[in-house]
Amino acid sequence: MNTARAELRKLLTLPSLRLTVLLTWTAHLALTCAYRVAESRGEPLGDNAALAPIVYTQAGFLVLGVLAASSEYEEGGQIRTTLLASPRRLPLQAVKALTLAVVTLPVAATTAATSALPAGEATWTPAATAYLTLTTLLGAAFATVVRRSVLAVILLLGLYFIAGPLLRAWFATSAAYLPDTAALDPSRGAAATVGWTLCALALAALTFHRRDA
Amino acid sequence: MVRLVRAELRKLFGLPTAWVGLVLGTLAAPLIVLLNAPYTRRAIAAGTVTDTSDLGLRELGLGLIGPMILGVIMVSSEYTSTGPDSPGARQLTTTLTAVPDRRRLLTAKTTALVLVVAAQAAVTATAALSLAEVLHGDHTSMPAAARVAGAILYWTLTALLAYAITLITRNGIVPLTFLIINSAVVSVSYLLTKVTDLAAYLPDIVGARMFLRTADFPVEISPLTAGLVMTAWVAALLAVGGVLFHRRDV
Repeated sequence: MNTARAELRKLLTLPSLRLTVLLTWTAHLALTCAYRVAESRGEPLGDNAALAPIVYTQAGFLVLGVLAASSEYEEGGQIRTTLLASPRRLPLQAVKALTLAVVTLPVAATTAATSALPAGEATWTPAATAYLTLTTLLGAAFATVVRRSVLAVILLLGLYFIAGPLLRAWFATSAAYLPDTAALDPSRGAAATVGWTLCALALAALTFHRRDA
Repeated sequence: MVRLVRAELRKLFGLPTAWVGLVLGTLAAPLIVLLNAPYTRRAIAAGTVTDTSDLGLRELGLGLIGPMILGVIMVSSEYTSTGPDSPGARQLTTTLTAVPDRRRLLTAKTTALVLVVAAQAAVTATAALSLAEVLHGDHTSMPAAARVAGAILYWTLTALLAYAITLITRNGIVPLTFLIINSAVVSVSYLLTKVTDLAAYLPDIVGARMFLRTADFPVEISPLTAGLVMTAWVAALLAVGGVLFHRRDV
């Protein structure tokens, strides 16, 4: 319980996370407005106005996860202090993932509701919230393995925004296996998102358990 | 000055993340031409693609992640701490001890970046266009030199744009996220062109006008004007970044 409280306090007091959330919300609001305007001008930009802005704002959630995890490895090597305080690594890693999910959930819910409610499709809110929370956890797990924030951001965003769309265009069947398909088509990609996130979390736990800090 | 540029080049090539940018940026466009070949061929045969003048050039847009990474990393690496045991020390402190004149330092940095990105753009453009020529030779001809030069200029200006934004933010993650999302297949700027025609003058949209012919543009802009508009954007942001770099504390 103490570990959870400590991890929670660390997450809540990181200025970079607060800034990321604020920027994500701003971008999301602007995009939602842009979609509304485009629709009213008779040029709808996607089939599902409730989910379309999320395809872009999920980047903010990836960055959120990356920064939450990599902050331990930045200047000063905070991870050593953390491990001194709670040396059992696997429980620590589990608590880290849980607290990050708890912190992300309200942020994701607000974001999902912002675009789903005006589009009149409130039923998408829980699915979008779950997707964004899982995406954050995936980002955090990835950054735990890579340990460097800039590199993790480059690789993740390159995967989500460049490789993903290309793969879906080349091999239509690959869509069901990519982690970001769910943002476009929840019924097809949900299993892949859950699967990739669980794999990433397991890999992160394993490397965190095995590797020197 | 030559020594400064050489030092900046050596620093850049010493960064692992810069190599990610170099490799990704150089290989992406030719690889996409290659992987797209069967679809392009089918599309040409079916007659859905009538204007093939952009073959090989359009794919260059997806390699832009390379110059973006290079532009960002050129500045942000100076602001990350030098090691876990000296969290307060940044590389910039050392750099400024060696070169106290900030204007000269910035000139050297900009020159080094332009050299690397222009060379990368020339290599990847040649590779992508030769591949397109080999794969679809009967349907397409080598584009005019001016258009290839436009593409190389577009790459260089994009790198400078990333560099200028990072000079302002002094942090690599914000500009990188923003720029990579915007280089996605359907970019945010492109969405904005659906909302207002003014968005056609955003740097990445207007810049593509320099070398693409068949893309979906809301306003007619000549390649020369397009180049000038994008250069103006980059010059303005560089001026702001330069003044801030000159004035701010390390």
